[in-house]
Amino acid sequence: MNTQFKKGIVEMCILSILSKKDMYGFEVIDTLSKEIDVNENTVYPILRRLTGQGLFETYMEQTNIGAPRKYYRMTGLGKSKLKEYETEWRSFLEGVFQLLGGSTHKS
Amino acid sequence: MNALKAALQNYRASEKDLDEVFSDYEQLYEDAKASGKTDEEVWQMLGKPEEVAHDLIDTLQLKKEKNIKTKIIAVMPFVSLIIFFVLGFYQNLWHPGWLVFLAIPMSAILLQTRLKDGVVALMPFLSVIIFLILGWGFDLWHPGWLVFLSIPVVAILLNTHIKDLPIALSPFIAVVAFLILGFAYNLWNPGWLVFLIIPMLGILKGKNIVKVILYELSFLIAIAFYLYMGYEQQAWGYGGLGFLLPVAMGLILGEINFTFGRLEGVERKKAITMVMLVILAIGLFLALGFGLGGWAWAWQVFLLIPVTAILLFDKFRLTALMPFFAVIIFFSVGYFFGMFHISWLAFLLIPITAIIENA
Repeated sequence: MNTQFKKGIVEMCILSILSKKDMYGFEVIDTLSKEIDVNENTVYPILRRLTGQGLFETYMEQTNIGAPRKYYRMTGLGKSKLKEYETEWRSFLEGVFQLLGGSTHKS
Repeated sequence: MNALKAALQNYRASEKDLDEVFSDYEQLYEDAKASGKTDEEVWQMLGKPEEVAHDLIDTLQLKKEKNIKTKIIAVMPFVSLIIFFVLGFYQNLWHPGWLVFLAIPMSAILLQTRLKDGVVALMPFLSVIIFLILGWGFDLWHPGWLVFLSIPVVAILLNTHIKDLPIALSPFIAVVAFLILGFAYNLWNPGWLVFLIIPMLGILKGKNIVKVILYELSFLIAIAFYLYMGYEQQAWGYGGLGFLLPVAMGLILGEINFTFGRLEGVERKKAITMVMLVILAIGLFLALGFGLGGWAWAWQVFLLIPVTAILLFDKFRLTALMPFFAVIIFFSVGYFFGMFHISWLAFLLIPITAIIENA
């Protein structure tokens, strides 16, 4: 699959899982890689970029095991961006399935 | 982490961004290890430093210092000109006041090059300054020009793996030793023997200890024989025959045969060419030495050996050949025209070629 295309999907998935609850970096990577085949090392740069764009905000939380952890929390901007992505994605997928279904009928 | 740091510093990321990224990566590393991942899995998860740095580019803020550095570089020609005029008009120091113009390229190198490359690029300028101080200040034009050998030596010191350093530096050590023996003691012959440290150090890299000892012994015996015949019997020519011993050693130990037997086609032809060239170079060197008394300069034929090896076995790159051409130009112009104080300029060809070829 085209790398840029895949990165776009991973970006949307990160937005989606962080819309459910706040997570720390490794938790995001771990959750994603359990569900989809993702190049793990691309996740942190995406997280950092989306944070820079204001879609997430970060805060530190003390842990029992050592140094405080950085958590990512979705902002209002992030939520509206996710909605926008979901709408685009569903309409795109519908189109793709339509095409795939059409080609199946023909053959 | 260090590799990532180096990769990010290449992009001139701000300290704030660097600290943040490292802290995040340390956290990722600790969390991944705590989850029971193996080192290899963690390594895979974190990714190759260069790729990560590339992916992070658009999240990094460039250093503000970059702008300040650019401004300093832009202003330097004007500052130099003002200092030059002030020194000239008020102190009548037009000469050596012109040296301030060296600040223009030096500031650009210092401010825009990574430390290691910067040091290499600065060496020609530092050498000029030291050379002129030695010349004007102490009338040591000769052997002050030797300072220019620091240009290739520093480049080699900073770019060569420590275990290859003795071999890489040996040609320069040999040149300096040879020139000192020649100019100071008029020992051009047998002073040229110092060049034998180049193959003798190269042989030390061999894995078979017995062969290494035999080769080294054959060289030592050949040298001893040459010196004995020359000094005791006044027969340098016959003494030269002693150098057939290292060649014979190669044949006896089967090294040359073995190499030819194993290779086929073009590789075989290349190997034969190299052996022929070595024999030809030795023959030519001895002929020029005895025939024309050219011990002082005939050693340069040996530079044909590495040059041919590069041409035959590597992809053609002028950068790889230039150090050898530079040594030939440097020595020939210096020796034949007595212009060592100018001929060092040939060493500038090395970085110039590298810049043009890698641009």
